[in-house]
Amino acid sequence: MSARAAPSSTQVADLWRERPRSRFVRVSLGLVTLLLLGSWFVGDFSLSDTFSAQRSENLGRFLSEVRPWPLRERLADGTMRDKPWDWGVFATWSGERLSDGVSDRDTAGGLESARGTLAISVLAIVLASLASLVFCWFAARNVASPQPFAPTGVTPSARHRWAWRVVVGGTRLLLVLQRSLPEYVLAFLLLAMLQTAAWPAVLALAIHNSGILGRLNAEIIENVDARPLVALRALGASRTKIALVGIAPAMLPRFLTYFFYRWETCVREATVLGILGMASLGWLIDEAQVSGYKYDEMMFFIGLGVAIVLLGDLISAIARGIVRRAS
Amino acid sequence: MAPEATRRPFPLRARGTVLLALLVAGAWAAWELELSWGDLTPNEGGVRVTKSFFQRALTPALASEASHVPEGTPPLLVLSLQAAWTTLIYAAASMSLALLLGLFLGFFASTAWWAGDPVGGRTRLGRTVAPLVYGATRVLIGLMRSVHEVIWAVLFLAAFGLTPLAAVIAIAIPYGGTLAKIFSEMIDEAPRGAALALRASGSSGLQVFGFGLLPAALPDMLAYSFYRFECALRSSAVLGFFGYATLGREIQQSFSSTNYGEVWTHLYVLMAIVIVFDLWSGKLRARLTA
Repeated sequence: MSARAAPSSTQVADLWRERPRSRFVRVSLGLVTLLLLGSWFVGDFSLSDTFSAQRSENLGRFLSEVRPWPLRERLADGTMRDKPWDWGVFATWSGERLSDGVSDRDTAGGLESARGTLAISVLAIVLASLASLVFCWFAARNVASPQPFAPTGVTPSARHRWAWRVVVGGTRLLLVLQRSLPEYVLAFLLLAMLQTAAWPAVLALAIHNSGILGRLNAEIIENVDARPLVALRALGASRTKIALVGIAPAMLPRFLTYFFYRWETCVREATVLGILGMASLGWLIDEAQVSGYKYDEMMFFIGLGVAIVLLGDLISAIARGIVRRAS
Repeated sequence: MAPEATRRPFPLRARGTVLLALLVAGAWAAWELELSWGDLTPNEGGVRVTKSFFQRALTPALASEASHVPEGTPPLLVLSLQAAWTTLIYAAASMSLALLLGLFLGFFASTAWWAGDPVGGRTRLGRTVAPLVYGATRVLIGLMRSVHEVIWAVLFLAAFGLTPLAAVIAIAIPYGGTLAKIFSEMIDEAPRGAALALRASGSSGLQVFGFGLLPAALPDMLAYSFYRFECALRSSAVLGFFGYATLGREIQQSFSSTNYGEVWTHLYVLMAIVIVFDLWSGKLRARLTA
């Protein structure tokens, strides 16, 4: 076939027939499509239930009470009426929320809770990444092998091969167990055992994320260019030396990228874990609701949570940009 | 220093600084939270709970442990599997909505179909409206993502009350935002060759997107969607803590009535379905992105 001739329709058909296909991928896609569509027939997700008369009344009350309470008043017949919008009143009300938290309740202030949310996420991701930096070496198949980066032709004994396979398998099992349970469930269980304010949240986030970061770091290690490592090995470097001198420097940029990505998630999760009673914004969001449906204050703290999450995303994006430019 | 040398991946001194900065950040956080190692040892009540909880780790309950079981309650294992099925159905329903949202918003949040067109010939509409739509979509995606699914659920509980559809939408909103963000980035980073060829032969922006960009980004998008499905399973389980019939509710009820054997049963069922999806999506990712 000359390079310039347009392909004939039979050639196109041949190409189509010879496209790479995988039965596994096709069966998986079929199953998932079935699940996605089928869920709507199996589950009881009816619109009429969601928008029944009683529920619309509920929604109406919710919407009328989202406005900050100094900016509305209750009439004699019990309905709410909006007062004219006044930025000064709104600013005073917001200031009280930031310093006192939920009104008439003994909670931390909004700002303090926001700082707590950030602190929980930072400590959790630092602990998670330190733990993952220990685990990942044992989960990476190229490092955790009987003869790492040995020139071809060296065959280790079967016993050695099996021993290392057990190490890799065991570490990977530990990591998948760590990330299989949601942070919220972990925090719920830890809270009953530790009965302190912040540790359950920090540990729950750290356990879950070290499972994720451990696997990602192992993948980074497995994808590091092997040629310099083989050269190091040929020069007589030990496994530890190869890891510290050959792999650790090369994996740092990607590690940091994942670190900041996971930190963004940690900020989101740390906000929520407060619902269990820990020193983060979720506590205030929950408290505003359970202490008499203060929807206005609830919305304020949700908004504060959005601000914290966006701040986290911004810091993370800047940090990842710096990493990208430096590498 | 030669310019080549300055562009080496992370000079040695920066590595030390980075690791030190991480440790300092962790120390600040611990100080801010007023944490001490002493708090890690549970008090008397905590020790009792911890002991009796972990004693059951290897002997999960196979039948209900409650002293009084109401008439008509299915056996524990059936109950647990039912909750797992509900967890799966909630996750699937919310993922199907999230995928629609993600594809729709991801299209408007990608720049590839309207910006930086090297072949030229952009319409006035493309110059004025497209950037506005792009910006508005980005803001919308950011807001959807910045509120956690549990907070959406709490908000909908306040606004509508306990309806399954509200739980599904609560998961679908942040997941749709995340999918849209990742999809748009994948579309923008997809190989441009086919798209440029289509553009050069006079295709419209929509055709370039549908036949040039989308197919190139599709394997990555599928792989990522599978990973998010796994996350949706966890989120759907957590929503059980707010009254929905998923595994979280069973875990919470069994735990608060101190039937720790039952808690382990539900935890193992949850772990099992998440790990099956983890392995499945891992294998699929390897096939799709190879």
